[in-house]
Amino acid sequence: MNPQTEPNRGAEARLGQEQADDLAAELRAIVGENGVVARATELRVYECDGWTIERRAPQLLALPRTTAEVSAVLRTLYRRGIAFVPRGAGTGLSGGCLPLYAPVMVCTSRMNRIIAIDIASRRVEVESGVVNINVSNAVKAAGYFYAPDPSSQVACTIGGNIAENSGGPHTLKYGVTTNHVMGVELVAPDGEIVELGGAAEERVGYDLTGAVVGAEGTVGIVTRATLKLTREPEARRTLLAVFADVDSATRAVSATIAAGIVPGAIEMMDRLIIRAVEDAFAVGLPRDAGAVLIIEIDGLEAAMADHAEAIARIAREAGASEVRVARDEAERTLLWKARKRAFGAVGRLAPNYATQDGVVPRTRLPDILRVISGLSEKFGLAIGNVFHAGDGNIHPIVLYDERDPDQVRRAIEVGREILRACVAMGGSLTGEHGIGVEKQAEMPLIFSPDDLIAMAELRRVFDPAERSNPGKVIPRPGACVEVAAPHRQVAL
Amino acid sequence: MSEIREDPAAIAKAIDALIGSGRVRTPRGRETLAARVIAEPRTSAEVSELVRMCEADRIALAAMGAARTLASIRREPAALGVAMTTMARVLAYEPDDMTVSVEAGITLGALNSRVGERRQQLALDPPGPDVTTIGAVVAAAQSGPLRLSEGTPRDLLIGVRFVGHDARLISSGGRVVKNVAGYDLMKVMTGSFGTLGIIVEATFKLRPMAEGYTIVMARFTSAAEAFAAARAALEALTPLHLEVVSPGVATMLGYPDSFLVIAGIAGVEREIQWQCERLAALLGNRVSVVTGFEASGLYARIRDLDFAAAALAAKLSVIPAELGACLERCAVEFCAHAGSGVAEITIEREMDAGEAAATIARWRTIAHAARGNLRIVSAASALRGAFQMFDDPAPGALALMHRLKASFDPAGIFNPRCFVGGI
Repeated sequence: MNPQTEPNRGAEARLGQEQADDLAAELRAIVGENGVVARATELRVYECDGWTIERRAPQLLALPRTTAEVSAVLRTLYRRGIAFVPRGAGTGLSGGCLPLYAPVMVCTSRMNRIIAIDIASRRVEVESGVVNINVSNAVKAAGYFYAPDPSSQVACTIGGNIAENSGGPHTLKYGVTTNHVMGVELVAPDGEIVELGGAAEERVGYDLTGAVVGAEGTVGIVTRATLKLTREPEARRTLLAVFADVDSATRAVSATIAAGIVPGAIEMMDRLIIRAVEDAFAVGLPRDAGAVLIIEIDGLEAAMADHAEAIARIAREAGASEVRVARDEAERTLLWKARKRAFGAVGRLAPNYATQDGVVPRTRLPDILRVISGLSEKFGLAIGNVFHAGDGNIHPIVLYDERDPDQVRRAIEVGREILRACVAMGGSLTGEHGIGVEKQAEMPLIFSPDDLIAMAELRRVFDPAERSNPGKVIPRPGACVEVAAPHRQVAL
Repeated sequence: MSEIREDPAAIAKAIDALIGSGRVRTPRGRETLAARVIAEPRTSAEVSELVRMCEADRIALAAMGAARTLASIRREPAALGVAMTTMARVLAYEPDDMTVSVEAGITLGALNSRVGERRQQLALDPPGPDVTTIGAVVAAAQSGPLRLSEGTPRDLLIGVRFVGHDARLISSGGRVVKNVAGYDLMKVMTGSFGTLGIIVEATFKLRPMAEGYTIVMARFTSAAEAFAAARAALEALTPLHLEVVSPGVATMLGYPDSFLVIAGIAGVEREIQWQCERLAALLGNRVSVVTGFEASGLYARIRDLDFAAAALAAKLSVIPAELGACLERCAVEFCAHAGSGVAEITIEREMDAGEAAATIARWRTIAHAARGNLRIVSAASALRGAFQMFDDPAPGALALMHRLKASFDPAGIFNPRCFVGGI
């Protein structure tokens, strides 16, 4: 048995014009005139997400406003045997919402209401099109926040976060999306509305909410979610530690965590990135450093001084030439600005860059960075590193020029080599960006055919006809995507 | 399709031929409620062999550690019990990565004594760590007081390996703490009560042990006051765990006749001292502070509170703010994990089956009204037939669960007919 059947088994991949017009009319009756986009020029906007190597616009886009509308849309598509791709804000980085094998896209962006906030129980119920940051903004005055903080949080939706099981810098301490989603309302691919999980912590029966999170939109469309809220820490300290090389910086990361301190975030930047950031924004990073760590601790004010002191001592023991503690909010903001603007700064160094997402056990960080440095030399392409060091989640940035086809080829190959090295070190293909279409071909590096079959069986529990985002995640038999150009230029 | 086979002697003989003599035995003590014959495989390959045989011959099998969960949920013993305690190795411990991979039969206590040498822990604390196996912790999604700050098995399990249908050895996740490659079978297996396959290995992220630990305790005359105080503590501090217990349970802990709020505080000395002071300011002169060995002893007594001997015991889970009111309405003795909205509840009084069924129906109504659920964790054998151990999932969800079961266990051999909806 092949885990992945050919996409669009029994479903239309491309609609004839007459069929498309007819469907558009039926969908308009459900979601209204302005709830359907059918014009090719307007559909161009939806031709890719943050994975821009492949582009394909849907033939029709539906923008439902309610669960009932989503259900009616999916029922219609199911009856007509048409596959669909769910989409939130399109900020994904692995082609998760690329409509390669389905003609219709269903976008949840108009379902953006926060339905109920329950501070006493630390729960919030939202529609899936709510933008991530808006959840935190809605509960900020009460002293709470929604913990998963992907760098796209000002744009990405909760539905998209659920599909990708999104992370972010502060997930080191607080966990990723799946740790904060208590329950979902899911519209199954046949249009049936199903409640999974709920507001209570203990679950009844199988943890299907946990199966939906991270399923990359292949199990239907999540229309609502009950999320856990986290209390804002009383205090924070943000430290900058400067090292001669990445080896000593990674030693400091491991030693910090081994000492019993779990910081809110530990981010690393290497020399290439430090210089790019300094050239672009002059935030005061030492240009001759081999690596810097931004370490943020949070918790009770009473513990901050002791923890900051301990981290500074550990960093110095690991070889830090300098440890600075941000003295106020302005200095803290500046440090985070340096981290978050790193990608923009890199944009000045080369016409194009491609970011990779891999994971290694934390202790293997020096090894993987050495491998990356070797690959950089071997392939003749500069590679910068700015990443979530605390959980071993690397984001190498490969610089290239897309006008030179040979550079493009080398950039693709170096990305694959990096992933293979991660796997060889006991790591994983992706820490937070997902498999999508980008890494399907690499899945057999970490999963056996039996593993993939079990995953396919789980997917078909929700979507037996494979109508929801067909042809994703699990490698397709004999049809590996030919990656053309590594165009990814999105901040992480 | 033939009937599921039940003949213990024939099953024992077949196992003997399959994995060798000496690996099959009769059940002892509590195990007699769980299974009729017990096999003791040593490797995943042997577990696969057993599954292959059971699928071919349609023999119901159930994985077990100490057989406590199984004995409490099965109405009749499974034809074959697969004792996992003979598979109890630590496969990989990486202290600097703070991850550990183990075979499913190792006890939580053995795992934690190993990683404790490096001042690390698997931060899950169900009762009886020295008999509770990792397989049981995952399969029954067991947790304890630490769930408030560290989460439950679903939050700490980063990789799983199980033997599924067709005797296939299936892995999901990995050995890194952040990983979104592929579907999350860890979540599906966690809390599946052995109905989808036999878990043979698990990988967890570990947590550092805090420098110090202290308990701050306060006595109250009413549940309402106690829960209000717990809520205030939760707002002002970051407790490691936070329990509210009823007078009967307080008596079991050695503090008779009042509702107790018990807050476990961990961290560096200054942090602990500051939190103790703040709690004293919040709760007034009813506060007492327990430190050192006395604190760790009290923590172990809270963790190990076991209502299994009670006529009736259940786990109630509701939205956290409603927990206190629900418990008052249930009129039970309880140990409540206040911040999590979860409580173990019990009733000591003798009752007949009809009264037990009515009591449970009333508890369930109370739980559902607070958007929660109730699971019976133990009942006297005379009462067993009168009610379901698990709540019913919502109809749409239950239909998906039946499909999952049919897909992962087409022969219907994995611990059948004791989970939700007759699964």
